[in-house]
Amino acid sequence: MSKNKQFTREEELLLQDFSRNVSTKSNALFYGNAFIVSAIPIWLFWRIHLLDIVTTSPIFLLVTLVATWLMAFAYKNTKFSLKHKVAVKREAAVTEDMNRKLSEDKKMSKKEKDERILWKKNEVADYEATTFSIFYNNALFLALIIIASFYVLRSFSPTINYMLSVTLSGGLLALLSTGTQ
Amino acid sequence: MKKKALLLFGVLVLCLADSVAPLTAAGTAELDNEARILVQKKLLQKKRQGYAVESMDTFIKYSLFNIGGITATNVVLKDPSIVHAFEVVAGDVDVTLGRIAPQGNASHVIIIRPIKYGYVHNFTSAVVTYSSGENTQEVHTMHSDEPDDMYITSLKEFERKFSPHFVDWAAFAVMSVPPLLIPFMLWHSSKAKYEAVFIPKKGK
Repeated sequence: MSKNKQFTREEELLLQDFSRNVSTKSNALFYGNAFIVSAIPIWLFWRIHLLDIVTTSPIFLLVTLVATWLMAFAYKNTKFSLKHKVAVKREAAVTEDMNRKLSEDKKMSKKEKDERILWKKNEVADYEATTFSIFYNNALFLALIIIASFYVLRSFSPTINYMLSVTLSGGLLALLSTGTQ
Repeated sequence: MKKKALLLFGVLVLCLADSVAPLTAAGTAELDNEARILVQKKLLQKKRQGYAVESMDTFIKYSLFNIGGITATNVVLKDPSIVHAFEVVAGDVDVTLGRIAPQGNASHVIIIRPIKYGYVHNFTSAVVTYSSGENTQEVHTMHSDEPDDMYITSLKEFERKFSPHFVDWAAFAVMSVPPLLIPFMLWHSSKAKYEAVFIPKKGK
């Protein structure tokens, strides 16, 4: 029995499609965005809750790193669950668009055209799922921070307020992103 | 009979009036012969929600009313308790007001600033000394009312509660726009592009 470890291009694309793994580029994008959005609440707590930025800097750094990890986790999971929905929605449009572009190329075989269409579907689904995941999680994160720090936790000291509001908001998003729907 | 009864009733009323009148006139007669000062001590800071705030100016107004019938002379107002907890920015806590005419009034305002914060300050009464009329050595003393106790808060705590922070919120809004708008626009442009694929182009 021969062990065929070489996957066809189609199988590779399908595996990529169903895999939770993200590319290095996507990882960098996710962690970069997560770091920026996790750092924004520092402004609120410094200027409005009047936390001293110098003495509280170790807490700011630690909480920002924890929130960065939680947000990146949420981005990845949300992207994964959105990708299939986007792929189904865009399938017809991407196929039509690619057929128009490739119709003039008579030298290309049908198999190659199908592979390109599959690759393009994956790319578009990946792109839209990534961008929407980032937008959706960022919006929810900032909204949760404002509600938590100015309403729910307003009676707490500013330091505890910061630690709890940022960590719990990130944690809640990470938890919600693991949902199956 | 009727006339006799009416006459008797009239005499009775006159007798009663004669006895009651001295009683009611006694109080006012006493005041007619002397000066009497009433003092009110009041904190003026309506807009600050009833807080005394560290390093923020607070006004204290002393209002003196002479309800007596003669001039109050050598009127001296003292409030030594203020200086222990506050810095006097303007005015004096030991001031000679001179004379207050009968049924007249005078007022004195000082501006103070809390030195310490984080505790409830108990405002004690101010003391006014005066003499009743001219050429008299007798000194009368009157204490003012005491304003309500007041919590002296730090400036940080006060601003955290009451400052609108318009500029800070505007800066937060500006900082929040890129992480929201950029991903949304990227997603929307791709969505719009592929939704337009099935829309027939005009002119073809």
